[in-house]
Amino acid sequence: MNTEKFDIKKFILSKINRKLTLLFLIVGLIAPTIAIYYFYNISVSSFPEGMSGEQGLLLKTITVMIITLIAINAAIIGFFMSRSISKPIKELYNATREVETGKYDIRLDIKTCDEIEELAQAFNRTTAAQQRLEEERKEIDSAKTEFLSITSHELRSPMTPMKAQLQMLEEGYFGKLSKKQKDSLGIVIRNADRLDKIIVDFLDISRIEAARLKFNFQDTDIAQLVKDTAKFMEGFAKEKNIELVVNVDELPIIEVDPDRVSQVTRNLINNAIKFSAENSKIEITAELKKEYVLFSVRDYGCGLTSENQIRIFEPFYQVENSNRRKHGGTGLGLAICRGIVESQNGKIWVESKPGKGCKFSFTIPLKPVRQIKPIKILFSHKGTIERKLREEFKTMLGPLGAGEFDELKSKNALSRDDLVEYIDSLTDQYIIPEERGLDFKNRIERILGYEKEVINEKEDTPFDNLGDEVLGRN
Amino acid sequence: MQKTILVVDDEPDIRQSVKMILEVNGYKVVTAVDGDDCLKKVHEVKPDLILLDIMMPGTPVDDIVKQITDIKIAFMSVVRISDARKRGLCTQGNIVDFFQKPFNVSDLIDRVELILDEEEQG
Repeated sequence: MNTEKFDIKKFILSKINRKLTLLFLIVGLIAPTIAIYYFYNISVSSFPEGMSGEQGLLLKTITVMIITLIAINAAIIGFFMSRSISKPIKELYNATREVETGKYDIRLDIKTCDEIEELAQAFNRTTAAQQRLEEERKEIDSAKTEFLSITSHELRSPMTPMKAQLQMLEEGYFGKLSKKQKDSLGIVIRNADRLDKIIVDFLDISRIEAARLKFNFQDTDIAQLVKDTAKFMEGFAKEKNIELVVNVDELPIIEVDPDRVSQVTRNLINNAIKFSAENSKIEITAELKKEYVLFSVRDYGCGLTSENQIRIFEPFYQVENSNRRKHGGTGLGLAICRGIVESQNGKIWVESKPGKGCKFSFTIPLKPVRQIKPIKILFSHKGTIERKLREEFKTMLGPLGAGEFDELKSKNALSRDDLVEYIDSLTDQYIIPEERGLDFKNRIERILGYEKEVINEKEDTPFDNLGDEVLGRN
Repeated sequence: MQKTILVVDDEPDIRQSVKMILEVNGYKVVTAVDGDDCLKKVHEVKPDLILLDIMMPGTPVDDIVKQITDIKIAFMSVVRISDARKRGLCTQGNIVDFFQKPFNVSDLIDRVELILDEEEQG
């Protein structure tokens, strides 16, 4: 919870308090003044021979004292009254902040017997409804993952006898096959294998989504691992006479799951081979950066259009091109790579130009992330969020916005930190004014579901640098 | 001497397929439909190797395995080996191999041969 922002609100609310108190004080001063002035005049006129100086003074003192007393009383009453009004409002305000952070179980207990109580009750009903929806959403989400996992297992069981029988046929267990029979069987086996691959990928996805993906961390010589993986893939590369060039730095021994790193690297090399022309080369590098190791696989194949660069990590997305059928694959490989890399807090992205080849890069932190987070791969909200972000870019940056957004997306630089950094660079170069940059950041944070920043509130606050502080804190 | 292999799986098609493969390659095959059936057959036929599915109805495989200590067991499951290890299934000394379903026919034969040859030498 953000204490700083409460102060702003407190300040505003105390302003209301002060204003009301002041109002009562003024009314408390004016009303008795007028009343007592008349009373004074009447009492003066009731002395026909006129008052002595002493009597007059006494009367005046008493008058002033009465006025002061009444005014003080009025001010005190005013203060308490205004507090009784602002207190439930404050409570309501605090409760809405809690709801914003996702605590839907908050309920208000306001008994003021007026509209505010009604409002509080309406608030309670709304949060109760929200809580129900949130629970339902979570249930549906876990049901989806569970369903994926169960169906994948169920689908895999019949694959076992099917593949066994097909292989037996192929290997001549039941007699020699004619050429036509062999060809036909070949097609069946190829497609059975493909189906099985999809099922395996689904199982992987359900594991990633349920944060059940297992990482067996062990001290690993990364350089050796990359070399071994490349060696393993050499057989496949040879078919197209592609040279695999491995270029690795001196790398420290770090704790990672070698199988997972190898799985991602294999997948990227496999893709690179698929999309490379014959007799070309593929460069595989691994270098040490500050807090992570950066891996990359570069090919000199057909490359990707910017549209494809954006969508390549989506599940089932396959680049449309003439020889796509021949490439096979499930369309889930890169989505799984993304799941594996991101569940270790790494990043994966692609740089490419059509006709010039692609460079896929990913990072693995030097320290393993043991607490695996669930990563949404299928049916993620990512699409909706990105659409909104793109719109925001267009409104904030004009016609150039869409292009800028696509570029950031192709670098997979759409996390909050990346975007804030990007906007800061815009304001630093005076491309957009600071005020607009701040507004831009706030809008983006709202889309990404970070705490909302109310711009107008800033003007009411006495703290000059509050905006910066608030932004810096998240 | 002809080796005997006990194939335990609740899926008839898998039982039959494995039986066919092994018989063609010269092994005597007995099948069992679940863990309890497996325990019964073990005493009757004294197999040289048991190919055991992990997820079957009836008594859990964990308990079945504990009662068989003198016969080699190879698991054959759709479960991944890492998951099986996590369940502590692969700790017993007589567990010699793990076949991931769907298995490869020639791979199965090669590995079964290897397991049973080792026995002869040992």
